[in-house]
Amino acid sequence: MTPPVLYALVALWTPAIAALLLAILYPLRKKGQPAAVVAILGSLVSLGAAITLFTDRLHDDATHRLVVPWIGSGASTIAEVGVHVDGVSASMLVVVTLVATCVQVFSIGYMHDEPPEAYGRYFTYHALFLFSMNLLVVAPNILQLFAGWELVGVTSYLLIGFYFKKPSAARAAVKAFWVTKFADMGLLFGLLVLFAASGTFGWEPTLSPPVATAVTLLFFLAVVGKSAQFPLHVWLPDAMEGPTPVSALLHAATMVAAGVFLVVRANPLFEQAPITRSIMLGLGAATALFAALLALVQTDIKKTLAYSTCSQLGYMVAALGAGSMLGGFFHLTTHAFFKALLFLAAGSAIHAVHSNEITDMGGLAKRMPLTATAFSVGALALAGVPGLSGFFSKDLVLESVEGKLGNVPYAVLMLTAFLTAFYMGKVVFVAFFGKPSGEKAAHAHESGPSMSGPLVVLMVPTVVAGYFGATFAKVQGEPYHFAFGAGPATASALGLAGIGLAYAVYGRGPRAAVPAPIAMIDRVAKTRAVNRVYEWGFRNVTLVLADGLAFIDRYVVDGLINLLGWGAIEGGRKLRPIQTGLAPDYVLAVVLGVVGLAVWAVFGSWR
Amino acid sequence: MTLSHVLMLASALFCVGVYGLLTRRQAIAILLSVELMANAANLVFIAMSRFRGGVTGQVFALFSLAITVAEVAVGLALVILLYRSHADTRVDLASELKQ
Amino acid sequence: MNSHLLSIIVAAPAIAALFVMLTPQTAKLAIRVWSLIGATISFAGSLVAIRSYDTALGGLQRVEDYPLVPSMGVHLKLAVDGWGGPLLVLTGVILFAGVLASWTVKTRDREFFVLLLVLTAGVFGVFVSQDLLVFFLFYEIAVLPMYVLIGIWGSSHKVPPKGPFKFVWKLFDIGGKQYAAMKLTLMLLVGSAAIMAALFVMYLKAGGTTFDLGVLGATKYDRQTQIVVFPLVWLGFGTLAGVFPFHTWSPDGHASAPTAVSMLHAGVLMKLGAFGVMRIGMVILPEGARFWVPVVGAVAAINVLYGAFAAMSQTDLKYIIAYSSVSHMGIVMLGAATLTPAGWNGAVFQMVAHGIMTGLFFALVGLVYERAHTRAILKMGGFANVMPAVAAFFTLGCLSSLGLPGTAGFVSEFMVFLGAWKSGHYLWAIPGVLGAFVTAIYVLRATRTIFWGEGPSHDFHELSDPKKTEWGALVILGAGLVILGFWPRLILDYIEPGSVEHLGKVLAPVATLARLP
Repeated sequence: MTPPVLYALVALWTPAIAALLLAILYPLRKKGQPAAVVAILGSLVSLGAAITLFTDRLHDDATHRLVVPWIGSGASTIAEVGVHVDGVSASMLVVVTLVATCVQVFSIGYMHDEPPEAYGRYFTYHALFLFSMNLLVVAPNILQLFAGWELVGVTSYLLIGFYFKKPSAARAAVKAFWVTKFADMGLLFGLLVLFAASGTFGWEPTLSPPVATAVTLLFFLAVVGKSAQFPLHVWLPDAMEGPTPVSALLHAATMVAAGVFLVVRANPLFEQAPITRSIMLGLGAATALFAALLALVQTDIKKTLAYSTCSQLGYMVAALGAGSMLGGFFHLTTHAFFKALLFLAAGSAIHAVHSNEITDMGGLAKRMPLTATAFSVGALALAGVPGLSGFFSKDLVLESVEGKLGNVPYAVLMLTAFLTAFYMGKVVFVAFFGKPSGEKAAHAHESGPSMSGPLVVLMVPTVVAGYFGATFAKVQGEPYHFAFGAGPATASALGLAGIGLAYAVYGRGPRAAVPAPIAMIDRVAKTRAVNRVYEWGFRNVTLVLADGLAFIDRYVVDGLINLLGWGAIEGGRKLRPIQTGLAPDYVLAVVLGVVGLAVWAVFGSWR
Repeated sequence: MTLSHVLMLASALFCVGVYGLLTRRQAIAILLSVELMANAANLVFIAMSRFRGGVTGQVFALFSLAITVAEVAVGLALVILLYRSHADTRVDLASELKQ
Repeated sequence: MNSHLLSIIVAAPAIAALFVMLTPQTAKLAIRVWSLIGATISFAGSLVAIRSYDTALGGLQRVEDYPLVPSMGVHLKLAVDGWGGPLLVLTGVILFAGVLASWTVKTRDREFFVLLLVLTAGVFGVFVSQDLLVFFLFYEIAVLPMYVLIGIWGSSHKVPPKGPFKFVWKLFDIGGKQYAAMKLTLMLLVGSAAIMAALFVMYLKAGGTTFDLGVLGATKYDRQTQIVVFPLVWLGFGTLAGVFPFHTWSPDGHASAPTAVSMLHAGVLMKLGAFGVMRIGMVILPEGARFWVPVVGAVAAINVLYGAFAAMSQTDLKYIIAYSSVSHMGIVMLGAATLTPAGWNGAVFQMVAHGIMTGLFFALVGLVYERAHTRAILKMGGFANVMPAVAAFFTLGCLSSLGLPGTAGFVSEFMVFLGAWKSGHYLWAIPGVLGAFVTAIYVLRATRTIFWGEGPSHDFHELSDPKKTEWGALVILGAGLVILGFWPRLILDYIEPGSVEHLGKVLAPVATLARLP
């Protein structure tokens, strides 16, 4: 066991121990605060181990592994589990643990008003999530990745449904699970095909093109679900029912990024499947635009950020589809930081005005300068303004996509960059500048240190992560080059233009009339067409099938059995009159029998 | 007189006995019919002994006679019990076990 | 070999039953304590049996052989093989949990515990019998008490029927415990009749001198006989295993049965059926098995999806879980039909995993029903607000049900799917995986309907979390699911040699079995 393996194991198991303790020791959870302490302690240790591991990677680029048989033993081991340390897992581990720790600290203040038992339950789920996500990240094969994948799905379900008293939250949690579980079938089938073709669950094997395409396409189905790409994006906006820190951690920075991570991890497999990559490129770009359009019409700050996440994941998927593992992964990293920052800052604002709607906010910059700064920095990064991290990663993405598929995705992503800047500008101007729109906004005040601290912490990588692109690339073992050429310049220009347009439209407070193009999109968005298709399908296909089969079971299959029983009883009833109880009738029967026997004896013997 | 004549007579007697057994309602009449059937069978036994030789048939007839006597004794006992409970000896009265 | 451990395990519940019979009806605690002692002895014994099994050596261990009818070749021969250990532990756990869950039985508790213990003695006997007739004897002992247990201590007519066909319910008294008990017993006995016919064919065709499973397993029956007799064994044992279309006794039976009986029946008895198909049918009639496997697998795939969809439509909590059992037994039969080590390991692992899971579910349902006095989920809602622990354990059960990694359900289902895929029967793996997805739909829907939301409504006065002994069943079974999920090798290390050995007999003439999944 080498030191990197040890760090990885510590990073993996401390949250697990925290989760186990919290799950079993009810008194710990009941009081609330102790649970937070245990969970955050676990995250901090995990973070420390992750950072140590990463710094170790800066001068050690060998892969370190430790696996033990999990299912099966000896020569007939089917599945192994353990840790796999390389650049990819080390980097992701830092991202995950850092954001998770920030979010958990933020939650101390944000969830303060919850009853102690619920507070304890919340942190238990967080510890479980961190363990699950780390399990996924350090997985030495795709089977363990699948295990972590499913587990984060469950913690997502538990956390979206945290306010389970609310029917809408309950529905949202179940919906998230169902959509992702449907997509996860792809991952499961992909694993079966992979194993049948290569005898392992690893990402190293060389497969024949049809098999590689099949496996990667199946994996991609799971990615579409987990990373909320069209048409399986429908669960992500609903997932905003969960507490805002949860949205920040799971549904922006980490869990939804797991899909992208899978592709990064299984890069050797995807390299063998150009068809899959083309599909990814197309779908990613399309999702990016689609989601950005939907983000334009939202007034709920969380929904805006949710659609924004969906859009940015589209960027990552497109980059991976274009063949740039680094582009997708780097954007994943910067996005994790600035999106988490945006969500937490939004949470701070929501906490102050007790509403998600930007129309209930306004002028918050004066009353909550730190929050406003944090949000603005995040927004600028997201918009790709030069100098901030988002600019560098977005550039990598655009560069990789350039020239592919007739430059259509490239154009689409450029347009999306403009839209992104516009809708983020809208939120910034409406929520943080202008005049307060109501009582709450007028009396808003900055949040306490537990909520402000993480904002400050996350601002740092949001600003500077971009400058470490070369280091990041080196750790992944990929080449890196950045030049401020035509591409980045156009993108930056579009970003600034978007912000400018937003200022023009919203800079002086929310307008009474909604601009025409936005109204048009809003009308389309309100049809909820994609959702309606799924709901129709569920009601008229799945439930009808269920009721039909249950009917057949009760009345046809079981009906036959009941018929047999009824037949036996009825037959008995019909035969009973033979027993008249009168002796002469029985005598008659005997006589007939004797005659019969005699006839048979006489005529039978003639043969 | 040949064997066939006796056999035909015995069959006729037996059939009359069966007819009586099946159709008569009074218990004594049924007992009489059964007697008739038994005697018809005895007749066949003796005829076989007379026309085919050997003493087996007669021995069987004697046995049969003894058994018939026992059977009639039991039968008459049942008739008396039947009469005691129903004041009549019609056989279709003994139907209380029927559902 | 001289330790008599297996006899102790089999006899302990029966002897405890004897003691219970001798205690007066009024000594309620004594009755339960005797039962618990019997259960504990068997449970402890099963743990000793599994841990002391030498996996390197393999084969039959702890053999005990007592001649019963030497002239016919009937011996009370008990032994433990790789499969025996885990299955004995399963039975021990469920019995222990079941006794705890039955602590609050109200009427005629003495008779109840006696029957429960006798039934379980039969189950223990089946898992370790190495003599075909004794196997069948124990099998019948395990099945017959069900009639009385459901008929007297069961529950009737809990959810009224809807729809144009509800007259059928009145006609047959569907939903009533008498109907359920009668249907269950009669269907299972018809299955037993088929088994008996097959049993005597096997006996006679092997020379009519011995019922020893080892000898019969080595006997080469002619192909025609095997092809004719295997379906009798498959469908005969399969009726108990819930094989479509002979599974319809199961929903009504489980729903009407009292809690511990449902736990035992769905948790352990249904496994007896699958165990019989594999251990008797496939091992003794390998050619017949190989001939019929495509059908067995196809029917199993139907089981999985059909059961899942039917479960989705139910509004009675116990029926949901009962149909879920039909669906999950499909996974067991599917694994068996693959004739691969992975598939067989998965099948036996699923027997244990599902047994624990369903035991947990029925224990929870029993708890909820006792407090809510209804099984209609549409009347429920918001129960998690007053019964958070019940909600948590229920969710855990649901997650194992849909095959979440980290729970026992994933290990078994994954191995079965792998076996199916590797055996080339892709059409089996696809319904299997789809079944897991459909399961996710209905279990989460049920959880949301029962536990989440506002509430509970004011009609419910007695809802509360588990008290004292009720925790026992939940904690043991819940922990079992998680422990086996994280550390499957705890029992897999024993199941594996068993599968390899038995599967070897099934595949021997066709191919040499390399130790590969």
